[in-house]
Amino acid sequence: MSGVSPRRLASGRVTRSAQADRAAAAALVARQRRSAPNGIWGMALFLCSEITIFGTMISSYFYLESDNKHWPPAGIKPPSVTLPLIATGVLVLTIVPMFLASRAARRGARPAVLGFVSLALVVQCAYLAVQILLFRHDLNQFRPQDTAYGSIYFTLLATHHAHVLLGILLDVVVLAYVAIRGLTNYWLTAVRNLAIYWYVVNVIAIVVVLTQLSPSL
Amino acid sequence: MATTSTRNAEAQLDLLERVWAERKGLLGWITTTDHKRIGIMYFFTALVMFGAGGVEALLIRTQLIGPHQTVLSPQAYDEVFTMHGITMIFLFVIPMTTGAFGNYLIPLMIGARDMAFPRLNALSYWIYLGSAIFMYAGLAGGHAPNAGWFDYVPLASKTYDPGNNIDFYGWGLIFNGISSTAASINFIVTIFKLRAPGMSLNRMPLFCFAFLAVSFALLFALPSLSVAALFLELDRNLGFHFYDAAHGGDPLLWQNLFWIFGHPEVYIIILPAFGIATAIIPTFTHRKMVLFPLVALAEILVAFLGFGVWVHHMFTVGYPTLVTVYFAAASLIIVIPSGIQLFSWIATILTGTPEFKTPLLWIVGFIVYFMLGGLSGVALAAIPFDQQVHDSYFIIAHFHFVIFGAAVFPILGGMYFWFPKLTGRMYHEGIGKLSFWTTFIGTFVTFFPMHILGLLGMPRRIYTYPAGMGWTFLNALESVGAYVLASGLVLIVLNLFISYFRGPVCEADPWEGDTLEWSTSSPPPAYNFPVIPTVSSPYPMWDKEDRELDKRRLERGEGLMATGHETLATTMQDAEVDEILSMPSHSIWPPVCALMLFGIFAMLLLHHYWIAFGFGVAGGLALISWHDKEAHAG
Amino acid sequence: MTIRHRARCRLRRVRGLRGLVLVVCLLLAGCGKQSILSPRSPQAHDIRTLWWWMLAVATIVFLGALGMLGLAWFRRGTPGLPFFGEREHVSQALVLIFGIGIPLVVLVTLFGASDVYLVGQTSPPPARDTAMTIDVIGHQWWWEVRYPGTDAVTANEIHIPVDTRVNVVATTADVIHSFWVPQLARKIDEIPGRHNRVLLFASTAGRYRGQCSQFCGFQHANMALYVIAQPRAAFNAWLANMASPAVSPTTPTARAGEQIFMANQCASCHQIRGTSAQGLVGPDLTHVASRRTLAGAEIRNTPAELRRWIADPQAIKPGARMPDLGLSATDYDDIAAYLEGLH
Repeated sequence: MSGVSPRRLASGRVTRSAQADRAAAAALVARQRRSAPNGIWGMALFLCSEITIFGTMISSYFYLESDNKHWPPAGIKPPSVTLPLIATGVLVLTIVPMFLASRAARRGARPAVLGFVSLALVVQCAYLAVQILLFRHDLNQFRPQDTAYGSIYFTLLATHHAHVLLGILLDVVVLAYVAIRGLTNYWLTAVRNLAIYWYVVNVIAIVVVLTQLSPSL
Repeated sequence: MATTSTRNAEAQLDLLERVWAERKGLLGWITTTDHKRIGIMYFFTALVMFGAGGVEALLIRTQLIGPHQTVLSPQAYDEVFTMHGITMIFLFVIPMTTGAFGNYLIPLMIGARDMAFPRLNALSYWIYLGSAIFMYAGLAGGHAPNAGWFDYVPLASKTYDPGNNIDFYGWGLIFNGISSTAASINFIVTIFKLRAPGMSLNRMPLFCFAFLAVSFALLFALPSLSVAALFLELDRNLGFHFYDAAHGGDPLLWQNLFWIFGHPEVYIIILPAFGIATAIIPTFTHRKMVLFPLVALAEILVAFLGFGVWVHHMFTVGYPTLVTVYFAAASLIIVIPSGIQLFSWIATILTGTPEFKTPLLWIVGFIVYFMLGGLSGVALAAIPFDQQVHDSYFIIAHFHFVIFGAAVFPILGGMYFWFPKLTGRMYHEGIGKLSFWTTFIGTFVTFFPMHILGLLGMPRRIYTYPAGMGWTFLNALESVGAYVLASGLVLIVLNLFISYFRGPVCEADPWEGDTLEWSTSSPPPAYNFPVIPTVSSPYPMWDKEDRELDKRRLERGEGLMATGHETLATTMQDAEVDEILSMPSHSIWPPVCALMLFGIFAMLLLHHYWIAFGFGVAGGLALISWHDKEAHAG
Repeated sequence: MTIRHRARCRLRRVRGLRGLVLVVCLLLAGCGKQSILSPRSPQAHDIRTLWWWMLAVATIVFLGALGMLGLAWFRRGTPGLPFFGEREHVSQALVLIFGIGIPLVVLVTLFGASDVYLVGQTSPPPARDTAMTIDVIGHQWWWEVRYPGTDAVTANEIHIPVDTRVNVVATTADVIHSFWVPQLARKIDEIPGRHNRVLLFASTAGRYRGQCSQFCGFQHANMALYVIAQPRAAFNAWLANMASPAVSPTTPTARAGEQIFMANQCASCHQIRGTSAQGLVGPDLTHVASRRTLAGAEIRNTPAELRRWIADPQAIKPGARMPDLGLSATDYDDIAAYLEGLH
């Protein structure tokens, strides 16, 4: 049952995708599908929900801004632009290794998958570290408990950083399973899903940083 | 030759039975991923919640039977009416329609063997149960949420509600929302990818269109509620100022975020009812639905347009006229797709040969109340009129007609309709009709006078009222009506309960239904269909050739997919065969993950943030174990 | 069922319907205490007219649909429509006409009448188009009423001159409340951070009851108020009295009461202008005896009721902010005597 090419139904050529537990077989299954696998749909719909969460928070940011004459309120410096923009730019660059990882997975190229995901993981960890330092620096200047500006500013950023952290954890899990168990049909789809997750998180990162920096832009 | 293939078919059926057999005992139920078992668990849990919400309603009506009653103190009254709303909306109607009816019926109607993500399905149920226990823990402890189901700030802020009542609300709703989000994802992927070959999107039953629309609506509406609740909990427990006008925040931010969820929510509540109605009507009128494609489009339009009208809950907050007029116009537009559906149902009943058995009676009742509730809704889109009756009993009348009369009646009718499919027995028709008329009359007597009370100036959410206002008689009448209504509901439960044990055994398709669930046995086997059916119209059971084809394939032992826990995935638009999927069966991880989530929210409520983080880590590990077991053939 | 039996059923149903309509009319006509159906201002009157028109159209639509369902029941053995038979195109046309066509016409008409025309009448006019301004500040669970430009402050009772456009500025001191006097005007919410306004206008003199209509906590049910529309002269006299400081007590018990009042918690919550009581937590009591009601317009302002309220507010309004003062019975008698004198 393992390591063989996918079996066919008596009445036609239909793959039993779950039986593909080697990289080559999984790649063949992925090529033969005519519509996106269920797992991709699941991730895409989950991300619709997450995008809506960010849309809601960003709308709240501008709603609260419209309620306030001074934004940021008096006594709070407008955010500095350089470091956040650079950090976001670096994060967005990880779209490239994630895309290449996804393509490699579909080809069944397991070492390439491991390489690209690891590269992305390192950059993402560096990004998160920088962002945490900036977050703490901001907390020393003003607090969420002081004004609505602080409340939405820190909540929006924290939600984004939480999604980055989640992505990093997903990176680790996917790397471990692809390394240990191999590129089965299940984990091939997982690599593609991981890439899609990061595409969306990267786009959200751009929107979030532009919102965060909007008083200074 | 025929004998060999028959023996082969029998051997494969045997194999199917064994592969799909549900584990016995309590552990079998706890670890189940079968959509039918999960649907049944949802059903009974939601029924208990309906009872709880009903008791709360009777307490309210008993308190209001006359002026200055002392059945409930003001504090208790506030908790009771708040829990009534929360229970009925979040813990009864949505889980009953999506969790019970949707879960049980969607795979059967589309010719699949399970939902796309069976373990996620189980997780949705256990989270739902957990959130129900979570919120009722507040009531049990004497600090249930008490600021109404839409919980306006600043009343719900820490300053004016210092106990942890509102924290049960805030954290509880976020917790509950995860269940519905997961369920929505599951329904959408199932409906898109697991339909039987030949069931292209335009040949899908209207019931499935309704649930597709509901799922998309839930997916995009729930985040607004979750964000609003998160902001509320941050304000209350960490001293943030989202809603605090004194520090740059805005109480209206809560109202906007809430109603951006809240309005689509009411269409989410009613759309499954539309779906059930469109399943029952063709069956009992023996004709196809008039203008089927337009009805399908209308169902989707209602869900979509419902996102653009939320400020009509806020006509009295003092927004500029231009804003309110825009939202009134948007609210009026939704009447059109509702009207299309309404008159399609009526035209189908009128031009068919209807048999007014119990299920169809409930749908007629639904049509009556949907009209009445819809008409009062149209009146409310007249801004000056709304600005008089907003937050009065007129509003309570309107939404109970649409939520109870229009959303719940099809649920009750659906219980009768699908009872033979789930149990293999028939209910008692005479008592069925009696239960309908009792409930119908009770509903009218309870809620119709509320329109008048609202016009007479009685505000809502008051625990008592003075004598001499002209409100006393109508309130007493409504309270009597509530007891009549309750007895009708009790009759339903008794009828179905007794019929489960003593009802006459009936055939697989007693109604000559049009959709695929009627093609399989009653109750269905664990694998639903021995052979995945072929479909060429939205009324598959009325296509005799297709059903003959299925029978012949079964006799030849073809396409049983008996080697594993398997079902068929097809392409999204035209439902052409794409791949054979291996379904997971039986996992402990969904209930474990739900338990970890419960721990997270309980610890957040108790302000033990590090322990909550610990539960989060445990939950993450449980999720990894979950995915460790890939679904595998054999 | 025989034809005669069916006819009898129908007759019973019609008689029952007429009876129902009659009862409904009686109920509606008799009781106008806080009813939107007993308007006393042009704005409220227009809204009531709108309501009757909407009810008429809704009744026609509903009875029409009910008729179709009744027809479906009578013709349940025969497929197709009467006259038209089983022509699917006619059924489809029925859906399009009744589901799209007729609703479009009705909705556009309704929208024009209510949301284009009438909404202009019910929106608050600019303050310069009104004769006077009154501030109504919501509290848990009473109404503070101020007359800007004067020193007049009172609670739970608003006096206005008849036939005068009054600009009410509705705000709140705590949570969201909603100011609603159905016979005179539409409601307006009182929201922290907002200065909402509503036009108050009474065409005839009289007492008009209003009630908070946004859930605001335990005693939301007992947060009523009265608007009293008076002839201009009477109003001016009333306002002048309201603006003046409190009268001094004349009897010994009243004087004792004043001393107890000032020495205890009373003075820290209530203001009596012209004395040392300057608390702003509870209602202004400078002219409390002139009011017809107490406790958010829930009890009549008689000596017995006043004393009952002071002695045990929690028994009348459980959860109200006024605590049990823990004084003696004679103390309560004296305080009541003092307050009764504050006309």
